[in-house]
Amino acid sequence: MQNSRKGFHPRVKPQAGQQGAIPSWSWVGERGLRVVTADATLARYMMLVSRKFGEIEDIIPADGSILLILKSGAAPSAELQLALNLALPEAPPVSGTLHEIPVVYGGAFGPDLPELARRAGMGESDYIHKHAAAEYIVAFLGFQPGFPYLRGLPGAMHAPRRASPRIRVVAGSVAIGGTYTGIYPASGPGGWQIIGRTEAILFDPQRKAPALMMPGDRVRFVPRD
Amino acid sequence: MIEVLHAGLCDLVMDQGRAGLGALGVPAGGAADPKALAAANCLVGNDPGTAGLEITLSGPTLRFPAGGVVALTGAPFKAMRGSGGAVGWNETLVLGEGETLSLERAETGCRCWLAVQGGLAVPSIMHSRSTFPPAGFGGYRGRPLKAGDVLNGGVTTHDVHLKRARNPASDPKDAPLRVIAGPQASQFDDKGLAAFFSGEYQVGPASDRRGLRLTGPMVSHSCIDLPSQGVLPGTIQVPPDGLPIILGWDGPVTGGYPVIAGVISADWPRLAQLRPGAMLRFVTIEHAVARARAPAEWIIEALA
Repeated sequence: MQNSRKGFHPRVKPQAGQQGAIPSWSWVGERGLRVVTADATLARYMMLVSRKFGEIEDIIPADGSILLILKSGAAPSAELQLALNLALPEAPPVSGTLHEIPVVYGGAFGPDLPELARRAGMGESDYIHKHAAAEYIVAFLGFQPGFPYLRGLPGAMHAPRRASPRIRVVAGSVAIGGTYTGIYPASGPGGWQIIGRTEAILFDPQRKAPALMMPGDRVRFVPRD
Repeated sequence: MIEVLHAGLCDLVMDQGRAGLGALGVPAGGAADPKALAAANCLVGNDPGTAGLEITLSGPTLRFPAGGVVALTGAPFKAMRGSGGAVGWNETLVLGEGETLSLERAETGCRCWLAVQGGLAVPSIMHSRSTFPPAGFGGYRGRPLKAGDVLNGGVTTHDVHLKRARNPASDPKDAPLRVIAGPQASQFDDKGLAAFFSGEYQVGPASDRRGLRLTGPMVSHSCIDLPSQGVLPGTIQVPPDGLPIILGWDGPVTGGYPVIAGVISADWPRLAQLRPGAMLRFVTIEHAVARARAPAEWIIEALA
């Protein structure tokens, strides 16, 4: 499966028409610079990370925008301003790691699956098949340490968050929120619709790479009984 | 070694935090007023980045079997020591063998910082010794202290220089918090903006290091289904109920609620001292003015 996808480099592949687009930006406080990146978020993120600008303390990619946190008292340098306006490279330097995530769908592990399948006009097994057939891209991490927002959910499966969040969602829960699917790294309150559970450890602060997935990585779900 | 005889409301091991991990979903965290903790460290002869304790509203009783050199900065708490000596803030304190230090309630404000010569020896997790309670890692076992805990460290070098510290920040405590209009400010209607900028808000009881939940005039807006965007401490989000939340040091790195404004970093130390029930207002300032107002540097002076 991996071989057939050799040469597929979604991590920094810019969308057509985005190369020349000049990102607009606004301030969040005086240290947060929010840059609108639309469909080129990952490409712009990778480029900014690789440049290692001295005035930047942190770079947080999100849904169609990137937040740059500047060091205290620092101003964006001319080089950074240029980089924000620069056309993105066409050739990707790296491709994202592919993660195969085993999932037990439905039943007690996926209480919202029947309702979501009904909503999407599918049988449960068809719904599971479609969720597992797609290849997802880690768009960004947020909400909890290591929580991946996975892009690539088929349109028919998009679903709103629950009207009232659950007090406790179990770690490893595979869920759907809006246009995204994701995995809860830790147990806690959560508002996404739960369709299954994995034993994969999404975040371990003791691990050399604490987050299992990074922006630009690829994910496939593998159904287990 | 330090024994926790009695725990406070929320005693957390903190240092200067773990900035730079936002892409993993991990906020920088660290002391809510990093310069106050750094100043306390300087008073005991530590590196400014050494781990100390952040103490909130009601403090612990600590016993120092081998004595210790300590210093307190931040909000003044009612405090006592076993020897009966005075517990001064912003100065080097020398505790004798077996002496206890008891911090009771904060007299004003919300948080103070305790530095101990030699630092607190907890494992460094992702380049920091700061506790991150929402995910249960860092600091002392990833959680606030409990009675019976024993903190390693605090080894004195017997090299004691008595010092005192001054915080030159001179803004009156009731001055409005200075903010810069946020990315979605234009999506709030005139009524919502007027409520936010002319209203007075109170810090709600459900506030903690993740965020200050405010009660007061409702801020109406027409934002629905906003895509998640990166946020940082001081970001003021407005959920559908119209009651603003000021994100704190352990808040999420991304948020899906519209951002009306962001508190400038010079005023983050003031956020650290807002307790539930405290009243606050906002005032906008220009970005260029804000950048010139970085958090004030503490002044450390040697005593004779």
